Amino acid sequence: MSFVEYVDRNFDRIAFLTVQHVQVVLLSVAIAAVIGVGLGIATERTPRLRRVLLGITGTLLTIPSFALFGLLIPLLGLGLAPTVAALTVYAVFPILRNTVTGLQIVDPAVVDASRGMGLGAGQRLWMVRLPLAWPVILNGIRVATIMVVAIAAIGAAVRGPGLGELIFRGLSRIGGANAFNEAMSGVAGVVLVALVLDLVFVLIGRLTTPRGLHD
Amino acid sequence: MTDPTASPPPPEVMIRLEGLVKRYPGQSTDAVSKLSMDIRRGEFVVFVGPSGCGKTTTLRMINRLVEPTSGRIWIDGEDVTDVDPDRLRRRIGYVIQQIGLIPHMTIAQNIGLVPKLLGWDKARIRDRVDELLELVGLDPAAFRDRYPKQLSGGQQQRVGVARALAGDPPVMLMDEPFGAIDPITRDRLQEEFLKLQERIRKTIVFVTHDIDEALKLGDRIAIFGEGSRLEQFATPLEILSEPANDYVRSFVGAGTGIRRLGLLRIADIPGGAPEPAGRGAVRLTEDQTVHAALEEMLQAGADEVVVASADGRGERSLTMRDLLLAAARAKGEAR
Repeated sequence: MSFVEYVDRNFDRIAFLTVQHVQVVLLSVAIAAVIGVGLGIATERTPRLRRVLLGITGTLLTIPSFALFGLLIPLLGLGLAPTVAALTVYAVFPILRNTVTGLQIVDPAVVDASRGMGLGAGQRLWMVRLPLAWPVILNGIRVATIMVVAIAAIGAAVRGPGLGELIFRGLSRIGGANAFNEAMSGVAGVVLVALVLDLVFVLIGRLTTPRGLHD
Repeated sequence: MTDPTASPPPPEVMIRLEGLVKRYPGQSTDAVSKLSMDIRRGEFVVFVGPSGCGKTTTLRMINRLVEPTSGRIWIDGEDVTDVDPDRLRRRIGYVIQQIGLIPHMTIAQNIGLVPKLLGWDKARIRDRVDELLELVGLDPAAFRDRYPKQLSGGQQQRVGVARALAGDPPVMLMDEPFGAIDPITRDRLQEEFLKLQERIRKTIVFVTHDIDEALKLGDRIAIFGEGSRLEQFATPLEILSEPANDYVRSFVGAGTGIRRLGLLRIADIPGGAPEPAGRGAVRLTEDQTVHAALEEMLQAGADEVVVASADGRGERSLTMRDLLLAAARAKGEAR
């Protein structure tokens, strides 16, 4: 059976797993965005704590994903919980990093003028600094998303949802009937999801970047 | 928190600095030390001095962007040393060299920001924005909805000035506002700003390192020396005629006699024959400078100038000798 035939016959299952994959990725990135942006803002007056957090979240990124999923089993068991937890851990760093950078590169003259006009710290953050940092923060979220789309496939190792199931099952019985096609359909699905989400982020970027910042 | 022993300055004083000190943590000397001065209502005061003399630090203490280490600040009869700084700043216009317009807000939003913080309603803010754009010479219909980066540097600083005026503050603080603008546009903005000030009569504190800009704009000039010492605080004419010390003399530079001519109006020169002079005389008006009069006379090869009074009725004629002698005698009177 050719790959195309395989996909055609198993379309419902592949589509279902693809939707699951997207859901688990978006859920994890959403949690990570709240944590990353939140920590980036909360640590503005504690640069030392901020450096420590960047160090920790950066180091977590170097743990092999297969190992991290496995290490979370005793804590969270199998299925959705360890998958989302692990993906969130990975997604925090790029978002935190870009939140910090985005806020730092806001033109100091704009901040000084805002302060001189009588905007309080909170008003400066919401009305001036976050809108100006937003394109950079959004790019951090985008990088995190693309990264996590690939890692999510490993979640199948802990019975997590998504396209990893096709890859793992296919590879475990390689040589068997349609084993290669099954694994390939998972891989193709992951790549497709990554490409589509990337495009979605470009679109979100266009729509949410304040008009005065466009070239 | 008001110091019960301190008594407010008289009503003609808009800004009083009282023994103002700023020492940054870890520094062994004061950035500003024991500075006291009174700035009168409606006065245009220029702080001038070399970099590091504390002029900008002093300016930034007036709206508490820099918190004084000790001393008191009075604005409009109120001790503002300990009031809420955000509320205080909404009552003080602030213009900086880098302009600092908020890039994701339109020109109208930038100008309307302080009125919005002050709780004005939308219609009033809109009217105010248009009024201010006209005041600084920008067509509201063309500029209201643009973004800062679509404007030239000179246009942006006009908006910066409009923004500072938005809440109709009695006091304006300006930190080298024209410093980053090309010389030709800068001259124009200076002229326009002087005309604007004649209409709005704000109390202005203006920082520059350019003594010529200070002489051109200020009603009074505060010359800062090392360690924020106030070397002289006087009118431009006084500074040119009677520099307080060698520091001021060298800071002001050469050619003070000639430069003084640019500060004197023909109206300041007494005397002259009531009858119009003969042929070949140059014709000018009383509000022009002696410098301009002499320039015209030299160009025309004339020895006499006929001056029309401001109301256009009377005329008098002055000779080059009248002008020069009077200019030499003029010492430190009002401009």
